[in-house]
Amino acid sequence: MSRLVKKSPSVCTDLPLNSSDVCNKLRLMKELLKSSYGPTARLKQVHNDIGGAVVTTSTSSVLLQAISCSHPIISLIKGSILNHVSRYSDCGLFASVFCLSLIEEAGRCGLRKDVMIRVYKHLLSLCTAHLQQEDCGCKVKLDFCSSRSLITLARSVIASKPTCVLSEPESAHISRLAVQAFLLTVPCNIPDKVRLGRTVTIPIEGHSVLESAVFSGLLLDTPENISLGSLCSPLRMVLFSASLAGDLSELGDGRIEVHQGVDTDSQILDQLLELGKQVLKDEVKLFVCQKVIHPVLQHYLRCNGVIVIERLGISLMEPLIQLTAQPVATLHTTIPRAAYGEVHNVSVRQFGSKTKIHLHPAGKTTTCTMILCHRNETMLNELKQLVCQKTEHVLRLTLREPCALLGGGCTETHLAAYIRYQSKNDVSESSPVLSCSQTEYLLAAEAFCRSLESVATSLEHDNGASLIDLTHAHHWTLPSDVTEEHLKDATALCGCGVVQSCQNRKWSYLNTEYAEFSPAPLLTAAPLQPTVLDSFTAKVNALEVAVETANLVLDVRYVIQDVN
Amino acid sequence: MVPLEQLHLNHVLQTVSALESVILRSFGPEGGQVLFTRDTGQVMLSRSGKRILTALHLDHPLARMVVRCVWKHSTITGDGSKTFVLLLASLLRIIHATASKETHMFQSHNSTKAAEAATARHLADKLLEFALTELDKFIVLNVLPHGFCVSLENFTAKTQHNLSFQTLLVSFFHTRLGYAYCDFFRNLFCELLSHWKVKDDQPSFSIQLLNNSFPALHTQVSGVPVSCSRLIEGQVIHRDFATPCPQVRKQPLKAAVFNGYLGIVHFSSWTERSVESIIATLQSFGVSVLLCALKQSSAVLAAATQAGMCLVECVSEEEISLFTYVHLDFHDCEERLKVKPCSLVICAPSEGQADQHACAFQDALRMLLTALEPMHKTQTALKKTIPSEECTSLHTDNISNEAACRVHLHQKCVIETGCVISAGGTFEFLLHHALHQYGHSCSVSVNTSAVSQLLAKALLSVPRQIYSHNLKHFLQAQTRVMALIPRQPNALSNMSLKLLDLGFESVSCKYQLVLAVLQCLTNLLRMNMLLRTHTILHTKSHNSLNAHSESSEDEDED
Repeated sequence: MSRLVKKSPSVCTDLPLNSSDVCNKLRLMKELLKSSYGPTARLKQVHNDIGGAVVTTSTSSVLLQAISCSHPIISLIKGSILNHVSRYSDCGLFASVFCLSLIEEAGRCGLRKDVMIRVYKHLLSLCTAHLQQEDCGCKVKLDFCSSRSLITLARSVIASKPTCVLSEPESAHISRLAVQAFLLTVPCNIPDKVRLGRTVTIPIEGHSVLESAVFSGLLLDTPENISLGSLCSPLRMVLFSASLAGDLSELGDGRIEVHQGVDTDSQILDQLLELGKQVLKDEVKLFVCQKVIHPVLQHYLRCNGVIVIERLGISLMEPLIQLTAQPVATLHTTIPRAAYGEVHNVSVRQFGSKTKIHLHPAGKTTTCTMILCHRNETMLNELKQLVCQKTEHVLRLTLREPCALLGGGCTETHLAAYIRYQSKNDVSESSPVLSCSQTEYLLAAEAFCRSLESVATSLEHDNGASLIDLTHAHHWTLPSDVTEEHLKDATALCGCGVVQSCQNRKWSYLNTEYAEFSPAPLLTAAPLQPTVLDSFTAKVNALEVAVETANLVLDVRYVIQDVN
Repeated sequence: MVPLEQLHLNHVLQTVSALESVILRSFGPEGGQVLFTRDTGQVMLSRSGKRILTALHLDHPLARMVVRCVWKHSTITGDGSKTFVLLLASLLRIIHATASKETHMFQSHNSTKAAEAATARHLADKLLEFALTELDKFIVLNVLPHGFCVSLENFTAKTQHNLSFQTLLVSFFHTRLGYAYCDFFRNLFCELLSHWKVKDDQPSFSIQLLNNSFPALHTQVSGVPVSCSRLIEGQVIHRDFATPCPQVRKQPLKAAVFNGYLGIVHFSSWTERSVESIIATLQSFGVSVLLCALKQSSAVLAAATQAGMCLVECVSEEEISLFTYVHLDFHDCEERLKVKPCSLVICAPSEGQADQHACAFQDALRMLLTALEPMHKTQTALKKTIPSEECTSLHTDNISNEAACRVHLHQKCVIETGCVISAGGTFEFLLHHALHQYGHSCSVSVNTSAVSQLLAKALLSVPRQIYSHNLKHFLQAQTRVMALIPRQPNALSNMSLKLLDLGFESVSCKYQLVLAVLQCLTNLLRMNMLLRTHTILHTKSHNSLNAHSESSEDEDED
C-alpha cells in the first residue's frame, strides 16, 4: 500500500501585525510573562488536558515550553528566547517582556515599520556601546578577591525563582554553597587552556535546606552493608563502561559458533572470574562499573576485600574519569597498567536513609559534589534543575567578563534615561543617517525607552508604584499603602540598594513624562554595596536578542502556515 | 472518464496574479519578511521568492509549473525570483488585454475563447523569438554604456571598481536580509572571499569553490545576536569526538581520513589484532586524529582510546572532501601558503533566522557566479533548462533551439564579464526606452514593433512596484534615468554617482531573467487543456482538490 498522502495547501495571513487577533495573542503572552517576573512573581501552574503532571513554575524556560504556539509569530519569539536561555540560563523573562513591549510600542506609535526597525537597531548599538564603557553607571566590576559580590550575584538568581520557597537564611545558605561549588570547579594551577570541572548535584528529599552541603570529590551510591576494612592510601581503582553481567549483547555484531555441549554461561563466567583474578593480582581496591556486574564476580571480589560499585550510570562516568584521571578499561584486551586510576581515600557518609561512599581525590581536583536538601519533591526539583544549574552557569559567565549589572530594575531605568538624553542630543545627526524625520526618530526613541521602563515596572506585582529618581536614574518602588513622603525617609533604598534616599532628591513616576537628564555617577567616598546584581553577559545578550527578535517580527509582512 | 479541464487565458492570469500578490509583500526596498512554518512545525523566515513560493504547497498545476520555473531560474542565478513572477504577471496581463482586443487575427476558431488563446500563444512565441535574437543587442547598445564593471582583483581596496563590487553585494543583502544587516554581511562576505582567494586563478574559481563546499564551510549558531557572526580560522567538523580527546597535544597534528570501516566489521580475535596493527601503524606515522565517514565498531574505538588517538565518526561527505581538498590538493604548491582556510559562523537569535542568513550567503555566491560568467557560457546553461520545461508543453517547437543556436554564433564579444548597473529600476527604464524607440521607428515590421512595445510596457511594471508606495518617486526615478540617455557616459558622471546609493544589480542576471520569464510564458500559453489523472489510491484526496488556501482560492473556478 502506498502511504502517499496529498499535501494540503498552506494557510496564508497577510500583514499579521495589523490583525487584532495576533495583537491580542501577543498582549496576552506579555501579561503572562510579566506577572512571572522578579522575586515577588506570581507562580504559574502548568497542566495538560490528559492529566499529566502539574508543574508549578515562574521560570521562562519552563513557561515558554509549556505555551503551545497557536501562531508562527509567537513560536518565532518563543524560539529566540529559548535559544537565549539555553546559552545563558538567565534573563529569559527580561528578554521576552522587553521584546514584546517593543513590538507593542511600535504598533502604538504608528510609524512605518522600517523606520522603527532602523531606530531600534541604532538605539541598541547606543545601549551596547554604553554598557561596554568603563565608566558606565550601571556596571559593577566584580572583585574576585572577596566572595561577597559573587554571593550577591548568586543570590539574585536564586531569589528571582520564588517557586523554591526559600526563606531568607536558606537562600543565603544556598547562594554561599553555589559560590563554594563554583570556586571548587575552577582549577588552581592553570595550564594554557582552562578547563572547568564539574559539580555533581545529589538531591535528598525531606530534610531542611540548611543541611545542604558541598564536598570536594565524588559521592557515589553504595549498598548499605559496606565495610571499609583497613585500606592503605592511595587506592588503586579500575572503571568499566561495558556490562560485566555476562550477556553477549556488548560484543558487537557477528556470529558466534559454539561447539556442541559447551555451556556458554559457565564459559563466560570463567572469563569474568579470570578478569577478577587479574584485577586482584594488580592490587585493585576499588572496582567500579557503569552497568551491571555479575553477582558471582561481585561476591568473589568482595570476599577478597575489594570495594565493588555497580550501576554507576552514564552521568557519573565523566566526573569520575576526571577525578581519578584514568581511561575506561575495556574487555577487548587485557587491562594494561595505565588503565588503573587512583583515589586518595574513601569514607562512608550517611544522609538520612541514604548511604554514600565518598571518594577523596588523590591530587588537586575540580570535581565536587553538592548535596541539596529540600522539604518536598517539587521544590527540590526546581531547586536542583533550575536554580543551582543556572546559578552555576551565571557564575561561570563572570569568568569571561568579570562584571555585573545593577539589578532590581535600576539598569533598565538607567539605560532608558541615558537613551532619552542621547537621542535628544544626537537627533540632528542621526535622523538623516537613518533616513527618517526628526520627529519620527524621537517618537521611536520614546517607544524604546518606554519598553525598557515597562520591564522595570513589571518587577512590582502588589499594586505598588514604580518611580525613577531624577539624579542617578535608579529604580524605586513605592508600596501601595505608603505615600510618596515615605521615600524621603533616609532608610529607603533603590531597587539595587546602591542609592540611599535623602531630602532633596526628586522622583518621577515611570511611564510619565520627565525632562531628560544625563544620569549622574555616584560619587560617594564609601559607596553602598549593591544588594541585587544581574549577570552582565547574559543581560547584554538578552538585550540584543530582544531587539533583534522584535525587529524581525516587525519586518514580517506575510505568514504562510503549512497545515500538514 | 478522465476529467477534462479547458485552460483559458484568464485562468493562467489569475494563477500568476495570486502568486504575485504573495510575492509583493517582500518585494523591493520596502518589502518585509515572510514567515512560514514547515510541516514539522519549524518556523522559517525568508525574503527569497524561491523559498516563499515553494513553501506555499500549491495545488493548481499551472501554479506549480510557474513555481518550478522560478525555482530553476533562481537555483542557477541565485537571484531574481520575485521579479520573475512580477514580470510574468505583467506580461500576461498585457497579452490578455491585447488578445481580447485583437481576436480577429484568428477568425477561423469557433469560439472567442479559443481565438483569444491562439492570439496569446502567437504573441508569446513572437516575444520569445524577438528576445532570443534581438534583446542582447539592445542591452549592449543601450544598457551597458551606463553600467560599470566589477572585478574580483583587489576587491578589498577602495577603488572605483571595488566600490561597485561592494555596492553590488550590499544591494543583494539588502533585498534578502533587510536594511539592518546588509553592511555587516557584505564585510563578512568580502573577508571570507579574501581568505579563500587563490592567486593566479580565475576570480570565479574561488567563488565556485566556496559555493560547492558551502555546507561544510558554515556553522549555524542560534541564541546569539547576529553581530556575533564571524570567521574562524580552519575548518569546523560538525561532529563530536567518539573517543576522549586529550588536552595537551604536540604540534603539528597529523590526521588520517577514512572512507570505510577500519579493519573488518565482524567480531573475532583475528580482526581485533588487525585493528590493533592498523592503529599501531598509524601511531608510527604520528597520526593522532582519525576522521571517519562511517560509524566504527567498538573494537576500533577501544583500540583508538588505548592508543590515545582522537576519533571522529560519521563525518559528512562534504566536510571530508573539503578537508582533503585543503590539505592534499594544496599541499605541495605555493598556493597553500596564500589561501587561509577559514569557516563561517552565522549567529542569530532563532534557527529560522540563522538559516535565512546562510541561504542568503549561498545565493550571493551564486549571484556573483552568474554576474561574473562570460555570457556565452550562461547561454549553454540556459539551453540546458529548455528541454525539461518542454516536456510540460503539449507542442514541441524548434524555434527556441534554432534561435538559441543563432544567438550563440554572434555571442562572443557581447557582454563583458561582471557588468553591473544601478538598481532601482535603471535596467528596466533603459531597456524600456530603447524598445519603445525601436518600436516607433519606421524600419521595423508591424509585428516586431508590436512585440517590442509589449515587452517595453511590461518591463515598466518592475520599477512601478519598487516605488509603489510613492508615485512621485517613480516619476523622479524615471526622469533621472532618462536624463542619462543622451550622454552615453562610460565613466562615473555626477548623475550616475547619485544613483550609487540605490545599489547595483548584475546586467547578466537581468538578461537571463528576461529570457527565462519569456520561456516560462511561452510554455504556459502553449497549454490548452488540463487532464487530471488519478490513481485509485488518490480518489479521496481528489475531493480535497477544491480546498484551497486563501491565496489560491480564486485560481480554480470551474
